[in-house]
Amino acid sequence: MNKGFQKKYLLYLLVFLGFIGSMLFVYHNHDFYERTILKVTETIETDRIEITDNYENKDYLVTQKITAVIQNGEDKGKTIELENQYSGSQATHFQLKEGTEFFLAKDGSSVGDIKRDKYLVLVAWLFIIILLLVGKKQGALSVVSLAVNAVILSVALDIYIRNSDNSLLIICGISIILFTVLSLIMASGLNEKTYTAIIATLLSTFASLLIAYVALLVTKEQGIRYEEMAFLTRNPQIIFMGGLLIGSLGAVMDVAITMSSSIFELFEKNNEIKLSILKKSGLEIGKDIMGTMTNILFFAYVSGTIPALLLYFKNASPLGFTLSMNLSVELARALAGGIGIVLTIPITLYISIFFIKRKQAKL
Amino acid sequence: MNVLILLATILFILMAVVGGKKGIKSFIALLLNFAVVIATVLMMNDPNANPILLTLVACGIISAISLFYINEINSKTKMAFLATIITSLLLLTFIFFITEKSMIYGFSEEESDSLTIFSSRIGIDFVKVATSVIIMSTIGAIVDTAISITSPMREIHEQNPDITRKDLFMSGIRIGRDILGTSSNTLFFAFFGGYMGLIIWFKDLSYSMGEIVNSKVFSEEMITILTAGIGVALVIPIAAAITAYHLVSFKHSKE
Repeated sequence: MNKGFQKKYLLYLLVFLGFIGSMLFVYHNHDFYERTILKVTETIETDRIEITDNYENKDYLVTQKITAVIQNGEDKGKTIELENQYSGSQATHFQLKEGTEFFLAKDGSSVGDIKRDKYLVLVAWLFIIILLLVGKKQGALSVVSLAVNAVILSVALDIYIRNSDNSLLIICGISIILFTVLSLIMASGLNEKTYTAIIATLLSTFASLLIAYVALLVTKEQGIRYEEMAFLTRNPQIIFMGGLLIGSLGAVMDVAITMSSSIFELFEKNNEIKLSILKKSGLEIGKDIMGTMTNILFFAYVSGTIPALLLYFKNASPLGFTLSMNLSVELARALAGGIGIVLTIPITLYISIFFIKRKQAKL
Repeated sequence: MNVLILLATILFILMAVVGGKKGIKSFIALLLNFAVVIATVLMMNDPNANPILLTLVACGIISAISLFYINEINSKTKMAFLATIITSLLLLTFIFFITEKSMIYGFSEEESDSLTIFSSRIGIDFVKVATSVIIMSTIGAIVDTAISITSPMREIHEQNPDITRKDLFMSGIRIGRDILGTSSNTLFFAFFGGYMGLIIWFKDLSYSMGEIVNSKVFSEEMITILTAGIGVALVIPIAAAITAYHLVSFKHSKE
């Protein structure tokens, strides 16, 4: 058995043990929580009424009597009864089933959060396992890069919280440099095509931010409804700009590295290749990826608004109002990201050609 | 002037200048996809419609726009289309299961505060809606990965017509591995950018680790990111297998 083989099996074993260990932990971690956790042992439907709201939406309202056992704290093992009410759509309250674990709400008698940690850990492991199986080394790198980037972002935001509102853009700017350098070096190593992609990514990201900023300034932000941005504790404009900067970064990196690798490969295959030919092939590659990349961003942003759109429509809100309330921020993000993606194509092309020109001069 | 119109105009000009005819097509595809999303949501309004079925149809149309309209109808786009549909189906089953189990559907406590003026008893099954949202956020990336695999695989097959099915499959997998990192990164950062407000919210209101992990919003966002990653990885073997099967068997039947 050679060393590589042993190493591989060691890794599989580690992943397997990590999986089993953490799953056991999340199924038995009740004592680590301060909030009371309950497990449903019996549910009885006590009432079910048909309801029609002011907008002619038909739904039904169900009342359940829940018997549940306390899983942690001083009263562990005690059984309590409580009432749970949900509607058929389950838009705000959930139907509880036998076996569901939940946290007791602060009032001590109603259902709070569901205990979701076990599902989160399960999905996280599935993600790791599938990426390792399909991607091998590259899959492992994507998992690591997700984790590293998430940590950088979290630390960066911690620093932001302790500083003034305006510091977010500077902090995001520094994080972006870190994200780009780390992710691209991890993805394609230390070489000229990586350097090209790094420079191109940074230039394009800041250029697209500038364009978005000027556009917002010129139009006096007309058409953007910040008030519907969910979860705001701070100045929405700044959070929006920060999100813009980070949101398109992945797509811009993708375009930059795809273009620079193909252009450098063409050069390596034929050292005397004419710059005009390189330019033409580079542009062709760019044209091919521009459409799908802008689509990726578009769907990642816009899909999240579907539940809110439905709620607005069902409450008889007019189409235009509904769309502008819910989609303006997401659409602005997708459009600004798209601008970044398209800008990356010529920027990467010219930086690659600049490096190749210097190399050809040395030959 | 409206900022969205200004940004859209800038994007259109850039796409037309850089991409020429194909750039204009890509911009039109973006508009068409937007129309598909809105039409799907409008159809979901019907309480008798099944949101998951609607989403599957929408995914089919969206992939057809990205593959057949921007590119053209040929064997590589057809195989990418098939791979996208199969992956979406597999992923849908998994997402539906996990959404129902982890109860990440509906509006969270934090969100419902600002939605109190609305009636939330609207007779639409939010378990299915949540499933649709997750699959829709990933569909763009799945289509992109699928075409990035089938297209070079056909080139390889054309250059080595005697390649065995297994070798062709393996080269497809290798191409997939090279793009896995960047495709998943694209999605991760898109979500990070969108969730920044949320993370700041958690930090500002000093939620404890336990509260964050079990809250509906955080679980929902994390599960979306992770399933998106799973989707991008899953489409690789599926697209490689379909292409290898189709190209090699086609050749043999001709002989």
